[in-house]
Amino acid sequence: MLKVRSGDLDKMALLFHRHHRPLYGFLFHMTRQKEASEDMLQNVFYRMLRSRHTFTGEGDFKTWMYFIARNVIKDHVKKTSRDPGFHDMSELAGKIGADVRTDEQVERKLEIKALQQALGCLSPDSREVLILSRFQELRHEEIARVLDISVGAVKVRIHRAINQLKELYLSSEREMK
Amino acid sequence: MKCGFDKELLTAWLNDQLTGEERASVDTHVAGCEDCRRELENSRRIWGLMDDIPSPEPPAGTLVRFNAMLDTYKDSVAADERAPGVWRKLRQLFILQPGFAVAYSLLLIVAGLGLGHWLGGSGGTAAAGGADKQQLAALTTQVSEMRELMMKSLLQNPSASERIKGISYTSEITKVDKSVIEALLTTLNDDPNVNVRLMTLEALTHYASNPAVRAGLVESIGQQESPLVQAAMADVMLNLQEKNAIKPLRKLLQQKNLNALVRNKVEAAIARLI
Repeated sequence: MLKVRSGDLDKMALLFHRHHRPLYGFLFHMTRQKEASEDMLQNVFYRMLRSRHTFTGEGDFKTWMYFIARNVIKDHVKKTSRDPGFHDMSELAGKIGADVRTDEQVERKLEIKALQQALGCLSPDSREVLILSRFQELRHEEIARVLDISVGAVKVRIHRAINQLKELYLSSEREMK
Repeated sequence: MKCGFDKELLTAWLNDQLTGEERASVDTHVAGCEDCRRELENSRRIWGLMDDIPSPEPPAGTLVRFNAMLDTYKDSVAADERAPGVWRKLRQLFILQPGFAVAYSLLLIVAGLGLGHWLGGSGGTAAAGGADKQQLAALTTQVSEMRELMMKSLLQNPSASERIKGISYTSEITKVDKSVIEALLTTLNDDPNVNVRLMTLEALTHYASNPAVRAGLVESIGQQESPLVQAAMADVMLNLQEKNAIKPLRKLLQQKNLNALVRNKVEAAIARLI
């Protein structure tokens, strides 16, 4: 990124190649909107190009990228005045597809579906911290830099989020017993 | 009795964020504490299950769009260095917006589709095509009727997996009649399995343009007791912009034991529906 900053804009293609898949995953898990996630993905790279001079090189590129991605999501939510938790029902993964045949596969798909529903119930803050930790595999220190909070606060948020998720998910299991 | 062990350590154990010493202390503690062991086991199960939540791949054409954006940006930077101040501002306003790249890609797709339609529509003989079409239509109706029968019979099956398969048949039924809708609404209200109810709700949303489905969904709000289904109901009502749902959603808020997260979600849905 430092090379991009000093004017070698073609190096951005390298960064895109390396990071666009996980970044798209983050945008999708946060909003559950496929098309909007692709627009936001392009927007994040566009903003990084435009504000390349603000990249100091002190923190690493990944945390800077997620920091910008969060702002892009915020703008998207503001524009569509829609909480990312209110996803389209058709976007719920875990549909019973042709590849699912045995009872165990169906059960597994349903468990995942219920978990996704539970994840959608969490507040955006809780959902975000879980996604960064679980799906993006960021360390606590990295999450702290992305969210601009202390490492201690990150730990508290993850702990609270996982407990909320557990409560919701296990409540559906208890009901079935 | 609750133990005083630092529960955040149990969470940090999951995402491998502990020092060797901390990890050892967690392992030693859970070996002797039944409550913490159960808590960690539950968290681990959910943490593991999250691994199976699919992450979709970016759509085809993502790289092409990025390259187009990068080229446009590079051109604009080069032009910027040459252009006087006012032009620079104008270029920033119009050229650099990624929306233009999106609009351009969409225009190309629409033009391609239009051309395909125009070329495809000009060939073939109408008479021969008509007989084939009739046969095909008759066959399609037969298959659809068979699926409807299969669906209704599967919905009565004691196995939840079989009932789910029954619900998945609805997407293949071309003409959904009153009896199918009734069967689905009954499942939504009475099925003992929460996942089956969630799945049924999703299937029903595909027929939301039908007034009977909408009315059935609104009526069903008060009958749902699982937090997940209640939350999904709030989502659906918001997506459908169903104002008739405000009353039953408000009634839901009166329940004292309503899950706090579901309460937030329902309140937000009501606020947006008003």
